[in-house]
Amino acid sequence: MSERPLHEPTFLMLTALAKGPQHGYGIITDVEQISGGRVRLRAGTLYAALDRVVAEGLVEADRDEVVDGRLRRYYRLTQRGDDRLAAEVARLQHNAAVAAGRLEVRRRAFGGLA
Amino acid sequence: MTAAGGLEKSYRRLLRWYPALYRHRHEEEILGVLMSAARPGQRRPGARESADLVWSALKIRIRMAARRADSRPWAAALALTAMLLPLLMVLLKLTLFLDRGVQYGFGSPADILIGAYGEPGSFARSFQLNSYSIAFTGNVTDALTAGPVPALALAGLVCLGWRRAAAAFAAFVPLAFLAISLTNGYTLLAAPRVDVTLYAYGLEALVLLIAPSAPRGWHALRWRPSALLAAATVAAAIGMNGGLRSLLPARPVNPTALRLRLLRDPRLFRDYLARIPHGFIDRLFGIGAGGWGDWLLYQGTLVAVIIVALTIMLVSSAANRRVVALLGFPFALGAVIYLCTLTNPPLPGAAGNALIAIPVLLILLAAMAFVLANSRPADPDSPSHPAAPAA
Repeated sequence: MSERPLHEPTFLMLTALAKGPQHGYGIITDVEQISGGRVRLRAGTLYAALDRVVAEGLVEADRDEVVDGRLRRYYRLTQRGDDRLAAEVARLQHNAAVAAGRLEVRRRAFGGLA
Repeated sequence: MTAAGGLEKSYRRLLRWYPALYRHRHEEEILGVLMSAARPGQRRPGARESADLVWSALKIRIRMAARRADSRPWAAALALTAMLLPLLMVLLKLTLFLDRGVQYGFGSPADILIGAYGEPGSFARSFQLNSYSIAFTGNVTDALTAGPVPALALAGLVCLGWRRAAAAFAAFVPLAFLAISLTNGYTLLAAPRVDVTLYAYGLEALVLLIAPSAPRGWHALRWRPSALLAAATVAAAIGMNGGLRSLLPARPVNPTALRLRLLRDPRLFRDYLARIPHGFIDRLFGIGAGGWGDWLLYQGTLVAVIIVALTIMLVSSAANRRVVALLGFPFALGAVIYLCTLTNPPLPGAAGNALIAIPVLLILLAAMAFVLANSRPADPDSPSHPAAPAA
């Protein structure tokens, strides 16, 4: 059975973690960068999403560090998360290819009529 | 206090919206993220940020509650409920059987089969045709609700741990009763004790269907203290019933003289209560034509037996306190449904009262919907949330 598409914040979060283990604030800044500044996760949203993907086994805690007296917990993508992200990328690529192909046909047709 | 100190304090206040367990695991790390993302000189959390934290905290709370439903306490609670309900039904039938049997005789096996305790020959008499229904239909429906056999059969299936068979049987009894009653225009559904019986079977079917693990049969109870206390409950119920019956003679009373003599003779006070006009409150407590005396004899005993038996069985069970607390929900729901059914007066004549069937149907439909929506079996032993490394 095919899995449900990932929500964009979750997709971006997994994409950020695909680079390597990151702490919460690192994920927020990376997601903002990946999305070209369009998506800025708030802390509450981030941890609600993390809670879900950790429960689903897509992400797991990597290590803890204390920087300037503040706890930083790093998270990493699991193999299951890797597979899930790959499947989502394939799905998006397929949809994008179909959409691009049809747009090209449409434009040719309208270009021919014009 | 510095700006950062004030901001941190405000964030900590907001983080109290999260469940304690989640806060224990993640409060410091979320606080770190919040402080890292704060603007220089920021003194208070922004409105959107605060709303985001509160909303996320509520989502986490709901998720954690849902995950707990798959964990062991709920499984234990449901297994215990599935075990207790049929035993309670058997207990009630046994109490009624012994009480009426001692007073009026036990009747034939056929009388006992249809639950006509203390009415020898009623099974044979009921084969006569009447204006409402053929007698055979009456016997089947009586056997399903008032008779002891279905309760014994269900208890046997549950004790053996045959979950699916027990669930199918528990669902079959109220559905068969409803089908027979509605197709025959039979007015049996109007009786409060029928509501209780149908509800009990419906609830049992629901519990058996949604339980994340199979009932553990006898292992759910410490059977020796439970059996002893159940026997004591039956004896107490019979004592109450017989004792009250002898204290409640039905005889005419002069109201004027009653006021003067009430304090001198407590029995007259009960006679006075028996003549209070019947209204909503009377229906609420299941008082019929027999007045308050009947309520004390039947409903009072019923309620007392249920409460006492539940208490002693739960206290004597191996389940922890949390399980006991969780068990309160289905019984509270049952009480609400029962009270709601009493507010619907039965329709006259042969039309029957389908309104009273609605709670049972809702329970069964909810059970089916739940099962269809959760076709993937839950594993109660799997961790509900992977543990994060210690801080």
